[in-house]
Amino acid sequence: MKRFLNPKGAIGFALVALMFATAILAPLLIPAEWATRMDIRARLSGPSAHHWLGADQLGRDLLYRVMLGAQTSLKIAGAAVLLSVLLGLPLGVISGFYRGRVDNVLMRLVDTLLSFPVLLLALTISAMLGPSLPNTIIAIGVAFAPFLARIVRGEALRVTQMPYVEAARSAGANDWRLIVRHVLPNIMPPIIVQATISLAFAILAEAGLSFLGLGTQPPDSSWGLMIQASRDYLDVAPWTALVPGGAVALTVLGLNMFGDILRDVFDPRSN
Amino acid sequence: MTYVLNRLLSILVTLFLISLITFAVTSILPGDVATMIMGTQSNPEALAGLRKTLGLTDPLVVQYAHWIGGMATGDWGHSLVFKAPIADLLIQKIKASSLIVVLSMLIALSCAVPLGVWAAVHRDRWQDGASSTMALVGVSLPDFYWGIMMILLFARTLGWFPSSGFVDPAENLWGALTHAFLPSLALGLGLMAHLTRMTRSTMTGILGQEFIRVGRAKGLSERTVVWRYALANAIGPVMTVAGLQVGYLFGSIIVVETLFNYTGMGWLTYQALLNRDIPLIQATVFVIAAVVMLTNLVVDMLYLYADPRVRLE
Amino acid sequence: MLRTESGPSPETLVSVENLRVEFDTDGGTVVGVDGVSFSIKQGETVCVVGESGSGKSVTSLSVMRLVEFGGGRIVDGRMKLARPGGEALDLAHADPELMRSIRGVEMGMIFQEPMTALNPVFTIERQLTDGLRVHKGLRQREARARALALLKSVRIPEPERRLAQYPHELSGGMRQRIVIAMAMACEPRLLIADEPTTALDVTIQAEILALIDRLKRENRMAVLFITHDMAVVAQMADRVVVMYRGKIVEEGPVAQIFENPRHDYTKMLLAAVPKLGEMRGTSAPEPMRTLDAKPRPSPSMAPAASMSAKPEVLLDVKNLTTRFPVKGGVLRRTVANVHAVEDVSFSINVGETLSLVGESGCGKSTCGRSILRLVEPQDGEVWLNGWEVRKLAPLELRRARREMQMIFQDPFASLNPYRRLRDQVAEPLVNFGLASRSEIEDRVAQLFDRVELPRSFLRRYPHELSGGQRQRVAIARAIAPNPKLVVADEAVSALDVSVQAQVLNLLMELQADLGLSFLFISHDMAVVERISHQVGVMYLGRIVELGPRSAVFEDPRHPYTKSLMAAVPIADPRHRRIHENASTKPLSSPIFPIGRQAERSTYDEVTPGHFVLRRN
Repeated sequence: MKRFLNPKGAIGFALVALMFATAILAPLLIPAEWATRMDIRARLSGPSAHHWLGADQLGRDLLYRVMLGAQTSLKIAGAAVLLSVLLGLPLGVISGFYRGRVDNVLMRLVDTLLSFPVLLLALTISAMLGPSLPNTIIAIGVAFAPFLARIVRGEALRVTQMPYVEAARSAGANDWRLIVRHVLPNIMPPIIVQATISLAFAILAEAGLSFLGLGTQPPDSSWGLMIQASRDYLDVAPWTALVPGGAVALTVLGLNMFGDILRDVFDPRSN
Repeated sequence: MTYVLNRLLSILVTLFLISLITFAVTSILPGDVATMIMGTQSNPEALAGLRKTLGLTDPLVVQYAHWIGGMATGDWGHSLVFKAPIADLLIQKIKASSLIVVLSMLIALSCAVPLGVWAAVHRDRWQDGASSTMALVGVSLPDFYWGIMMILLFARTLGWFPSSGFVDPAENLWGALTHAFLPSLALGLGLMAHLTRMTRSTMTGILGQEFIRVGRAKGLSERTVVWRYALANAIGPVMTVAGLQVGYLFGSIIVVETLFNYTGMGWLTYQALLNRDIPLIQATVFVIAAVVMLTNLVVDMLYLYADPRVRLE
Repeated sequence: MLRTESGPSPETLVSVENLRVEFDTDGGTVVGVDGVSFSIKQGETVCVVGESGSGKSVTSLSVMRLVEFGGGRIVDGRMKLARPGGEALDLAHADPELMRSIRGVEMGMIFQEPMTALNPVFTIERQLTDGLRVHKGLRQREARARALALLKSVRIPEPERRLAQYPHELSGGMRQRIVIAMAMACEPRLLIADEPTTALDVTIQAEILALIDRLKRENRMAVLFITHDMAVVAQMADRVVVMYRGKIVEEGPVAQIFENPRHDYTKMLLAAVPKLGEMRGTSAPEPMRTLDAKPRPSPSMAPAASMSAKPEVLLDVKNLTTRFPVKGGVLRRTVANVHAVEDVSFSINVGETLSLVGESGCGKSTCGRSILRLVEPQDGEVWLNGWEVRKLAPLELRRARREMQMIFQDPFASLNPYRRLRDQVAEPLVNFGLASRSEIEDRVAQLFDRVELPRSFLRRYPHELSGGQRQRVAIARAIAPNPKLVVADEAVSALDVSVQAQVLNLLMELQADLGLSFLFISHDMAVVERISHQVGVMYLGRIVELGPRSAVFEDPRHPYTKSLMAAVPIADPRHRRIHENASTKPLSSPIFPIGRQAERSTYDEVTPGHFVLRRN
């Protein structure tokens, strides 16, 4: 617990908490029209008392937009990671626990899937299904699943060979009990760490997809979409890119720091 | 000899699986090539006719066999958007992209290895903190965001490099390099951050091993212990990770090349996806996955050759 | 605390005075050693002995000033080294650059793990010569000639060939010889050996000990020898320093320490170490000596042993064979087989202990695991209590496991870190349906009483316990379903010697009270001699000698058994038996090509019940 109190842990935790609080509370507290109200005189204006972080090409307030965009970005990333865990966890556990032929076939498939760059796979799936919010989730979730399966499989393999699993087997436990009571609890820490880091990557992936127009579609608003919109105004109004980009960076930074600290906390050598 | 044959067989099996996955992913779409060619408002009868001529009414297995047969015999088909043979397009764009892939890898490695070693040597002190924080910030920023910053700083403000376009190195080497520099830097920075973290953790592990203590007990200088004894052991794992990052690079070039209007593989893939140019999508996705797989294979082989523990007889 | 006489006498090489080393950790400052004083004379072997956490390694690393690379700080004390010119240097305050020119030149060091002590990506030649080139300025050819001479002096077969080889191509014993050659490269006057034989098999240990002893005599070199093993101390030491929790508790000449120990800790250490051969003339096992007052029931009074007139067979193993495929190639096809267990037969009587002894890789662990079908044997029969274990269907096997339980070597890995101890001990009761929900609580509490653990531990997690306590939990879990057979796989090897004695006594008590049979798997001949009724000696997958304990230990017939017995160090300085064998044993391996038909094991019965493998 003490490790959470060092600067890295505290900053990471604060950033993650801030972003999740924004994602949950902003839509409840801020009327949606504030983010869509167009202030013609403020078009592409810089930070001011009226618009704290400036306004975009339509004169919409960037602070409100970035706060409301948080929910879309985090929702997509969270759902995508959940999907990848749902796909990757059973696959990896079965592969690592039973080994043998099942493992050979499954991992051959997973290794081949890993040859496809994640972003390419996600973009292709999204383009094929037709870009939309649910399809973005599917695209990122499916593209991430092989990574998760690989990591889960490695951990399951390691844990299955531990003497305490053999001891439980001698103590009459069946496969189901071995997996649920002994393997799963012991592979959870690295998987939680991986999920945290995957969340960071999923936010980046969503931003990338939306930036290319193959992710979130208007009228939904996400950080990637805001950066895409800013491209034509970089010269006159760089803050239109810096604000949503900064939001992505801070969230991902927070998640990465949090993931690093989790890794240290869970590391058996540290106890 | 059996080893080489085995390896070749394994490559063929993997290529087959890659083609299968590519075909599966690109066949899930609701629309198809015929709609793409004629537009959604076209005459249904004409559309059905075109479908039949294009073989789209055949079972998927037949379509797949047709596609893979064409690939195997060198007939990669025509791009619907570019109205050009796909094979020619691919060769041209791969050349363009390999320049920025190699350049970004060089930039990343030349900074990441010293930084990572430096952090590992001064573990848990300010040097480690500084290097780790930089790396952490590096991995947290999207590549296109780096790209935007590069454009703002080096192109718009300082005017040192062009912000857009591609120049063929065969025609103008200097021009090619200046045009490739900013996209490579944008790609390289994120990559560098990953590799720095990786180098640090590998080196930390190695510096904790017994043979390092033995080296010190022999009275070797810290410089020898770190830069020869330890680093010689870290190169293999770091290279392997660098090889794996080629996959990440080929994902990132889609965004970065589009941002810099650099007409390479990434740009081509994006055009194909945006316009739903199915034959081109299939070809680019297949080729990128194959290139990534083969690069990793080459890195593996180099590792096999370089590490005495697994060196081939 | 003991102090050496003030001022180093002319022949004193190193004198450590009042050394204190601290480590900074997340939890604050930890004292590694405190007030440590001792000295080493030229040509003398000083053994520093102690259990884990005694600070013996910290002491040796401090003398080399390597301790600071591991996060330690020398905060107090002096370490005077007599330099070749005659002047004294305080190592504790010497400049790091000066230390670098002393390390490897005036002091050499060898370490515990020969498998990791050599840089895996450099050739042996490079690692042998880099010190010479730095310190002596030798050129490549001169350095190479010196390296060759060094390899010859540590008696490595085919020294020329070794120079071009990489560490992974050599066995553990050869690697340790090379580490010693490296330490000897610049002819140091002090050799520091930190547990140099702990990771080695007993026959290799004997060779390495003899080598160190010879090099010491030939070069009039002083040796600072760190070990946890009193038997090794008895064989090697001129003087002994006993450490406990970072302090020196006793120091003196080896004979005095062994014959007239003063400190209680030294007495306890000596009592807990079994001496090979001390059971001569007895027939039944005897409990380990400990200094606690509690009377132990003698296992010879156990009901099973007293009925020895007609012993009842519990486990009968016939022609057991277990092989592991060696996979190769991209297609992961089997290219060879490890014949881990090859045609092994033995039986265990009710209430008795049969020990399988042998060196690493001999197949003794696989044999135990094959009987429980934790690995699947390829051939043979395992009869337990009238069932053929190998013929059981999966569900029957799960039920049958109730009768046979296992205790594993590593007490840190054999308990699930995320479950309460209570739940882990209850696991067999739940799985076998042996107790109702309400009874379980009571049963588990009784089991904790039985293995002498406080009931307050019931709700704890494994990481809160010491190694010995964890092993008691593992024992409680093993006896929970009232098994008839317990397979103990190196169950006390990871424990400190004092804890080891207590755990062994607990096992023997349980045997006496519950009529358990043990299959005891161990590499420690002295322990096996003390606790066994029957002994099987394993080598390369086969039992080479099998019989009553007294027969095998007092009248060994197979050459391998004899060499094993001869190699065991004895915890008695009057009984020194280190002598160097001229040649290293050839490495034999149990790996054979697929389809290889192994010949049957045939035995000669030399005396009733005493079998010796016939050699061809």
